[in-house]
Parts: sequence; C-alpha cells; structure tokens
Amino acid sequence: MNRNIRAAALACATIVSFAAPALADTELKIYISSQHQPNIWRKAIDQYEAKTPGVKVTIETGGNTSEAQAQYLNTVMSAKDPSLDVLILDVIRPAQFAAAGWTSDVEGKDLSSYLPAYAEANTVGGKTVALPAFADAQFLYYRKDLLDKYGIQPPKSWDELKTAAKTITDGEKNPNLQGLSFQGKAIEGAVCTFLLPYWSQGKALTNNGRLSFDHDAAVKSLALWKSFADDGTAKKNIAEVATDDTRKEFQAGNVVFAVNWSYAWAQSQGAESAVAGKVGVARLPAMAGGESATCLGGWEWGVSAFSAHQDEAKKLVAYLSSPEVSKFMAINASLLPTYADLYKDGDVTKAAPWFADALQVVETAKPRPVTPRYNEVSETIRTTVNAVLAGVSTPEEGASQIESRLKRILR
Amino acid sequence: MATTTSLKISADAEPRQAAWVRWLDLSDRSLAILLLAPAALLLALIIVYPVCRLAYTSFFSLSLTSGLPAEFVGFENYQLMIDDPVFWETTWNTVLITLITVPGALIVGLGLALMANLPFRTQWPVRLSLLIPWALPLSFAGLIFAWFFHSEYGVVNDILNRVGLPGIIWFNSPNWAFAAICLTIIWKTSSFMALIILAGLQTIPRSLYEAADVDGAGRFRQFFEITLPLLKPSIVVALIFRTITSLQTFDIPYMMTGGGPGTSTATLAMYIHQNTVSFLDLGYGSALAVVMFALSMCVTAVYLRMIRTKE
Repeated sequence: MNRNIRAAALACATIVSFAAPALADTELKIYISSQHQPNIWRKAIDQYEAKTPGVKVTIETGGNTSEAQAQYLNTVMSAKDPSLDVLILDVIRPAQFAAAGWTSDVEGKDLSSYLPAYAEANTVGGKTVALPAFADAQFLYYRKDLLDKYGIQPPKSWDELKTAAKTITDGEKNPNLQGLSFQGKAIEGAVCTFLLPYWSQGKALTNNGRLSFDHDAAVKSLALWKSFADDGTAKKNIAEVATDDTRKEFQAGNVVFAVNWSYAWAQSQGAESAVAGKVGVARLPAMAGGESATCLGGWEWGVSAFSAHQDEAKKLVAYLSSPEVSKFMAINASLLPTYADLYKDGDVTKAAPWFADALQVVETAKPRPVTPRYNEVSETIRTTVNAVLAGVSTPEEGASQIESRLKRILR
Repeated sequence: MATTTSLKISADAEPRQAAWVRWLDLSDRSLAILLLAPAALLLALIIVYPVCRLAYTSFFSLSLTSGLPAEFVGFENYQLMIDDPVFWETTWNTVLITLITVPGALIVGLGLALMANLPFRTQWPVRLSLLIPWALPLSFAGLIFAWFFHSEYGVVNDILNRVGLPGIIWFNSPNWAFAAICLTIIWKTSSFMALIILAGLQTIPRSLYEAADVDGAGRFRQFFEITLPLLKPSIVVALIFRTITSLQTFDIPYMMTGGGPGTSTATLAMYIHQNTVSFLDLGYGSALAVVMFALSMCVTAVYLRMIRTKE
C-alpha cells in the first residue's frame, strides 16, 4: 500500500515537472523568405533561445521573390491569422502593413543608431512600425579582368558605359558576351530600373507622399533603357530578364556590366562561378550632368498585430535588429549591416572586404515612394518599363501612362 | 398551385406512402419541401450567399491599404471601371482568348475523339494520352509551356532553328505572346472536349452506320449526316463548360507571361486577382468580379437557349 502511494506521488511529481516548463514556454513563429538564408538566421536565434529561457522560436520559410512573399503574407494577414508572430518585410512594405493594421508599433525604440534611410523607412506617422533586419542597395558589377585588358576605368556615366561595353564586346568577338544586363521583366526590380536614371537627373517621384512627376526625366529614363536594347548593348530579350537571370548570366561570364543587388557578390565569388576573382563592384553610373543614384533595398522585422505574444515577439525583434546580430549576419551571411560603424568593423571587413566601400553607396541610396498603396505604384511602373522595352509603347507613351496612373493612385 | 396538383397526381399514382411519412402526417407538399431543404440550404450557403456578398461589397469603397473604414459609394466602383483602360483591355483579351481557344479546342478535341473512337485493338494508350493534359494542373501546364516558349532555352525556338527558321522572342511581343498562350490553352483543354465528345460518340448505335453502308453513303457523308447531328448535345455541353472556364482564364497566362509585355496579355480574372490580392482593393475587385459573373451568366443563358430551340 505504502509503496503504491509513493509510486503515485512519484508519477504526479514527474508529470508536474514535465508540465511546468511546457506551460512557461512561449512558442514564437517567425517568417523568413527562403532567399534570405534562414539557416544562418537560425543560428542567431539559437543564441537567443540559449539566453532567454522559456522562449522557443520556430522558422517558417517560403516565397523566394518579394512579390511571392508579399502575396503569401497578404493572404495570412487579411485572414487575421495569429499563427505568425514575427515577419520579415521588404523595405517597401512596412508602410502598407502598418496602414492595414497588420503590424503592431514598436514603442520606445530609439532609431538614431541605424542608418537614416532605414530609420525613415520604418517610421510611419511618427511611429516605429518595424525594425531593420539588414541593408541593401543596387551596384554596378563589372568584369575587372576585361576592363583592365582594354585599359578602361569603371564608367561614371551611362554614355561611358555604352562606349566601354561596345569596345569590349567588339574586341572580344564572343557572340555570347553582352555589354549590360539589367532587369526588364515586370518585377519589382524593374521599378528600380526606371528610378535609377530618373533620380540621377535630380528628380524625385514623390514629395511628402504627393506625386512630383517630371515627365521629361521619365521619358529620358525610359529612352535610355530602350536604347540599350536597340543598339545591342543589352540582349534583345531584355524584357524577359529578372534579377536572378542577371546574376546567373554574369556569373557564367556572359556579361561585362550588370546592375544588381549586393547578394550577387557572394555568389560570383563562389565555387560555381566562372568569374571568381575577376569581379569589380562600383557605384552605378549617372545620367550626363547628373549624379549617381541607387535604389535602397533591405528587409525589416515586423511584429504581427495578431500575435498572441506581443511582448515576447517585440523582444525577439529588438534582438534580431541589434548590432550584435547585424554583425553576426554580416560575417556569416554577407548581409549589409544597418549600423554605419559595422562597415569599418575589423571582423566584418575581414570576412567581406568590399563592405568598406559599400557604406557610401548605401548611405546615398534613395528609398522608393513610402505609401500604403505602394503595390499599385510598383505595378504601374514595372509593367510600363516592361512594355517600353518590349516595344509595345514608346518612352513618351510610357511616361504619360505612368504619370496618369500615379496621379490617380497618389492623389 | 400547379405544383401541388402535379404532386397529388404522382402521389395518386403511388398510393402506398412510407410508414414514417404517414406517422409524421405530412402532406406531400411539406414532404417535398422537407426533402429539398438540405440541398437548397447548402446551395444558398455556398453559392447564393457569396454572390450576394460580392455584389454587396462592390458598392463599398473597401481598401485594406487605405486604413479607412468601408464606406458606401453606390455605383462609384462601376463608374471607375468604365473609365479604366486596363479593365477594357483585360476584358477584350479575355473575350479574344475565348473566341480563339474555344473553337480551336473544339476542332482539335473532335479530331482526338474520332481518333480515340477508331477500332484500335488496344484503346487504353490512346485514352490515357487523352487524359494526361486534362489531368495536369493548369498552372503546371503554364509553367511547362513558359519554358517551351522561352526565347533562349525553349524547345519551340530550337525546333524553329532546326528547320531553318529564325527563333522568336515570344514573350517580347504582344501578338506572339498571345499566340503562345492560345496554343497552350488549346493543348490543355482540347482533351477535355475530346473526353465529352468521345462519350457522345459511343452512344451512337453502330447499326446506323451499317444501314448507311448498305445505302451506299461514304465515310464523309456518314460523318456529316449521322455523327455530327447525333453529337450535337455532347458538343453543346462541352462548349458550355469550356466557354465558362475560358472567361475565367487565369493560370496559364499568369504563369507564362504574368500579363506582359506590359498588360497586353492580362485577362479579366488576372486583373481581379491583382486588385484584390495585390492591391487589397476589395471594393473595386468585387465590382470587377460581378461583371465577370454577369458575363458568365449571359453566355450560359445563350447556350441553354440554343439547346432548347434545338430540341
């Protein structure tokens, strides 16, 4: 009898001791797009779990383009689904998510330690709606070996680039070698394609959320890209080319100049690259008489408004956006930091020497219009760029189409 | 009133009622309502309610990105549609796809069905090959053909080059992109046509052909005087299904061109998807969907009328 009681007590104690930590555990689910190296974020999160008892974090991945990712999150969030606690968002989206009431504000966070562009992108109506995960920008990738061979300096203007590309492709006599690869497909990247020369003429697209469209600058921008397609600097099917096509073609050694984001660098130095050790990265060229401009990229951490664990999720986001994680991701995943001083950090520059020159580019990168209706702005610009490059519309018609549609969206 | 009498008559014809009906002491009319109620309720729940809800939403300005509460705007969304060139372009593209691919799939499908109906010794390989395109998911077919028509890596341009023709940058020109999409849709949907027509073919008694043979009618005449007239009901059924799904064309152009170049191959269904899923403009998206629903209803009504006059 006595033994039975003891056994029962032991059983109870066992159940309680197993149940207690299970009750205290907070399960957080975090969404990371599959192209953003979730396996390396996992390592950073493991460190967080180790020092934060009671919190378990699982990662959900999916959507390998910004559009696919946004579509998935649009569905989940408009259903008010509480299953995701933390979301990674493209830099263009915090404003839209905040306006829809899908993210909760992160109160009491001082954003002044971040690069100003990221502090701005995550502030809507004076409130902090998300925190920076990592920075990004577009660069001009070039074949250092070919430029050296012909004694050419990296071009400062698009005209110089055109001449340099012609000299090299004529000299190489390789039918597979193209002068310039950029994004002409109707994807998010095509919005930047339009904006680079437009901004470079000193024009802005919006001013305090209102449209400030310069028709002539827009015509010149569209005409510039069309001229690359027409004169053979770029491929004839440039209207089919997406961001990763540019990366693959450059990596295969078929491109002299390429417009691309920072992620392409690590892969161009990889084992599968035909151009490892032959790649240079520079600022993007400018329009004649203008100044170089680049598109601000990057990703942010938002807390879902439908999460049942608001405090824990906000603490996790603060950690993921901290200088220590930013440094860890810069060294291990080659993701550009959102803290200026990390670009000079010895450990970071040892792992990725080119980061030392990247800060200047990131600092001068311009954000795409910050508006809750950004998806419509983006769709207008990218389909028009695509139509102009395919020869469906002229640059003049394209500029008028963008103007009339943006007027309706940003009224 | 009329229904009651007719029910009475049928009840008289079958005087023995089930025990539980007698026990419940139900009139025939109540019994009919009781038995139909679950089906009617289910129908209301899954068809009538969503359609009414859709029409209701279309009178509101309801955009999840504006942060504003829904506001009743009457016919404003429909007004916007009339002034929206993309709406007209996508509607025209949808109608054009229907006008090209429905007759196209009918002709190809009829050919396939006749072929499958030939007295082969083993028929399963023919019928299996008919089933494969039909069973393939639409978006998957779109993805495969997007690769087939790719200007650099595609098999279509490879074949063109082999026979000495220049390759085409299919998705760089509205006309070629449109042609590629229509060819894909015809490939994908003609097997569905063929399956329905094949079922019709098999109901035609062999004795009719034997009699025609005796009368000395040739194969050609037999086809036009026996096969085609007797196939009409199956053909109309196949046409109704195909036309309605064609008005809702989404997956194949979405996967192949994404509506490009520009918006030149975008369909109405893609535009609805874009407004609701990407732009989160539920008011305008609902108004567009109402138009598509009305369009489908009109087409069905025309077909149903056609069947009735035929009979």
